[in-house]
Amino acid sequence: MRQEVILAMLAKEPSHGYELRSRLARALGPLGEAMNAGQVYVALSRLEKAGLVAGEHSPGLADRPDRKVYALTPEGQLRVAAWLAEVSWPRPGLAEFHLKLVAAAAARLADPVSIVDAHRRELLRQLRDGQRAAMAEPDGSDAALLLEGVVLRIQADLRWLEACERAWTTRKDKER
Amino acid sequence: MSDAALVRARGLRKEYGTGEGLVRAVDSVDLDVAAGETVAVMGPSGCGKSTLLHLLGGLDRASGGELHLAGQRVDQMSERGLARLRRDTVGFVFQAFHLMDELTAVENVELPALLAGKSARAARKRAVELLEQVGLADRAGFLPPALSGGQRQRVAVARALASEPLLVLADEPTGNLDSAATLEVLRLFETLHEAGQTLVIVTHDARIAATADRLISMRDGAFVDETRLGGSAAGSLASLAGLDG
Amino acid sequence: MTGRLRLIGRLAARDLRRRRTEAFLLLLAFTAATATLALGLTLNGASNDQSYRQTRTATAGPDVVLSLNPDGSAMATRQGLAQLAALEHASGVTGHSGPFPATWVPLGGNGHTAGAQVEGRESAPASLDQPKVTQGSWLRGNGTAVLERTFAQALGVTAGGTVTLNGRSFTVAGIAVSAAVPPYPRVCDDGCEDTTSMQAGAQTGQVWVTEADARSLATRSEPLYYFLNLKLADPGQADAGSSDITWNTWQSISWLDSKVILSEQNVMMIFSSLLGILAIASVAVLVGGRMADQARRVGLLKAVGGTPELVAAVLLAEYVVIAGVAAVTGLLIGWAAAPLITRPGAGLLGTGASPGLTAGTIVVVMAVALLIALIGTFIPAVRAARVSTIRALAGSARPPKRRARLTALSARLPVVMLLALRIAGRRPRRAALNLASIAITAGGIIAMLAIASTGRVSFLAPGGSGLANPIAEQNGQVMLVVTVMLGILAAINVVFITWASVHDVRVSSALARALGATPEQATAGLVAAQALPALGGAVLGVPLGIGLSAAIQHGTTVTYPPVAGILAVLAGTVTAVTALTTPAAYASNHRPIAQALHDQAT
Repeated sequence: MRQEVILAMLAKEPSHGYELRSRLARALGPLGEAMNAGQVYVALSRLEKAGLVAGEHSPGLADRPDRKVYALTPEGQLRVAAWLAEVSWPRPGLAEFHLKLVAAAAARLADPVSIVDAHRRELLRQLRDGQRAAMAEPDGSDAALLLEGVVLRIQADLRWLEACERAWTTRKDKER
Repeated sequence: MSDAALVRARGLRKEYGTGEGLVRAVDSVDLDVAAGETVAVMGPSGCGKSTLLHLLGGLDRASGGELHLAGQRVDQMSERGLARLRRDTVGFVFQAFHLMDELTAVENVELPALLAGKSARAARKRAVELLEQVGLADRAGFLPPALSGGQRQRVAVARALASEPLLVLADEPTGNLDSAATLEVLRLFETLHEAGQTLVIVTHDARIAATADRLISMRDGAFVDETRLGGSAAGSLASLAGLDG
Repeated sequence: MTGRLRLIGRLAARDLRRRRTEAFLLLLAFTAATATLALGLTLNGASNDQSYRQTRTATAGPDVVLSLNPDGSAMATRQGLAQLAALEHASGVTGHSGPFPATWVPLGGNGHTAGAQVEGRESAPASLDQPKVTQGSWLRGNGTAVLERTFAQALGVTAGGTVTLNGRSFTVAGIAVSAAVPPYPRVCDDGCEDTTSMQAGAQTGQVWVTEADARSLATRSEPLYYFLNLKLADPGQADAGSSDITWNTWQSISWLDSKVILSEQNVMMIFSSLLGILAIASVAVLVGGRMADQARRVGLLKAVGGTPELVAAVLLAEYVVIAGVAAVTGLLIGWAAAPLITRPGAGLLGTGASPGLTAGTIVVVMAVALLIALIGTFIPAVRAARVSTIRALAGSARPPKRRARLTALSARLPVVMLLALRIAGRRPRRAALNLASIAITAGGIIAMLAIASTGRVSFLAPGGSGLANPIAEQNGQVMLVVTVMLGILAAINVVFITWASVHDVRVSSALARALGATPEQATAGLVAAQALPALGGAVLGVPLGIGLSAAIQHGTTVTYPPVAGILAVLAGTVTAVTALTTPAAYASNHRPIAQALHDQAT
């Protein structure tokens, strides 16, 4: 999982390490159990070293990552903004994209629906290219089979994106 | 550019019921389709896209708004005028194919020409040509139940092309088809598109939508988004396949 | 077991309630058939016996009437009269009156002309066959005449009026009935002698005058003949007749009185068979046409475990109920209407015999009604029960069979004909039913026209000096009523067939319109699809009707209806079918196409 996810989770407000972990766990549900506890803290340390977050000790507590309060630095904020806007490649994993939307909505940094739409457009272009390539292949060629696989996966992703769009639109309407 | 539009709709509405029970199937839609364009209309079921297509094809009367097709004012046309429109200007492809099961493929395809009063020989000749165009010349004498779903839909498309229509409207053309059959129909639409046929396709199938020049999203009877898919993809197919490069 | 019966009953009742109009029309159709059947059977047992006996008692009717027809020579007359005198005193003869002289003269009365059989009588009452006066009085001397009642009614003459006999004026003293003389116009059916002036078609009635007047009215060309009335100890005794004397028993005279009813009964039976066939056709069309509707219900029943037998039972139950109600209604109508037809006419005293319903009649009518329901429902029910559950649930009716030649042929025709042929060709059996039921109706009408042209049946009072024929009129009324019922039944059939047809092609018609056919073309095609078989049926009805008319007249002669009548029937049939079909066809083809297409893909 990319570090930008952690950054985005901090965009709403600074939080403790363990708070961050629990928010992630909530957003990921049962899949979050596969996540190593230590992964979050390792990522936080790296981000601190890279200057994208700043950690502060709570007074009176030991210098342990889970007790630190982390906040975004200005560079970190820039990085989050850029990440939200990009239609990233290579293709984001499901969890990553999902968390992107969650974080964007929580921090009110971007409209999740727009993010979804942008990705959809890109995938549709991909689909079109893939289909054209598949149709250009002679029937039964090995490459055609591979292309069919690509096309099918794109279709699957698109269906999920449509579901995301519906869900996030409903949530948006509810909030109004 | 809009003067050259083949289809021009302004404020098109279709409502059912009254008062509290009023349902706006199509809610004030504006649409321009230029000649040679392929437009895809996508949306969840019940969003009114099929109803919109029926309005465009003269299969139903709008409750309000204006509709111009190839320069003619459609929304106020008489029934007979609409029939002529359906005969000469518009070809329709249905989700359920709607082929006559007791007629062979070629007999199905020649039907619009016969209804237009053409001679049996001329209609048959044209039908055979069209079946060749869609790649089903060897199935001309088959009855629809003996054809696969994709073949049936291709016959339906051939039928829609029988009168050389200016506009072809397709309502969920791959809705009843499996993946392989969808590919057949996809190829056909691509061919038509390349030949300059104006197409308006209502679909929830991304594969069909991906072939369009313009993609319109519809929800609750209204257009909510419009995209042009022009340009190439940012990423490469290779990375989708797991190859880094 | 009772649980299943209750289930069947509930399902059947609910379905009948849902389709009330259909059920009602079907009931009408059935009732028409059962009513005519009941009438026909009732008439079978009816006769004018009671009225005749009443008249016989009141007039002292004879057991035998002998008529003597001498060849005109005085010697033959004397010999004949001697023979009659001898018979008066023969063994076994317990009473006599006469011989009375009689002759045939032309009569004029109330502006009409007719023939009169003039019989000479005394003012004093005779011991046998003294006609009972119902108006006015008996003969009051020369120059007076008494008319038989049916004759007087046909002429429109009353007591106190005048008639001319052979040009001489007579006062009508009174009007009477007799049991020894058949009623007008059957007086001369087997009584009057052949005279040169007896032209075919001359209507003859009975008139009584004084003996002197009768003799003076005889002419060279119309000489006298004689009647002798006898009462026998044993009414069944045979005669000892010579060639100049004919015997007429009272039974044969009674039979002539009854002839009216018998011929009507004949007509009834024939027409009731026709109506029965039409009713079967109605049921078949109705049941077959709604099979698509039924098929889904059938599928549901089967899907929840109903067996094919249960399914068939539900389908049959509805129509059996209708048949039962119709049988009862028909019997009631037959019982109520029978007296109207068995009226003895003015020639006899008393009112008509009300034969009443016999147990046999009731059983037959109910059995026939049941049979009609069974026949009409059998095949569709079996087919529906056999259809696989999945297909039934999908609601698809029998898909139409491919007709390559018809398709190729229709492609060469103009659009309306193309549509009409293809629509009719989808369900050839229904088109055949259409043709058959129209053929039967047209046949009935043509038969009626053929018989009417013989003059034995009349429907209107003849104009001018022509005389009304009460028997012909009554026959005519009966035939008219039955033919009207035929027409109504056929109309119901056409409506059913149209409903079924419209329902069947609603998707195809919508598709045709979507592909460019105008609503007018689609409507015209649907109407033509009914009208063309109807025309064929009407054409077929012509030979059928001619055959029917021969059957009604006991196959004696073949009569042809007037050509104008035939053309009228053909044109009228097509017009009527077109009129009946157009509303439904129009409505169906002016619905929005999108709605019709998405109703159901068949």
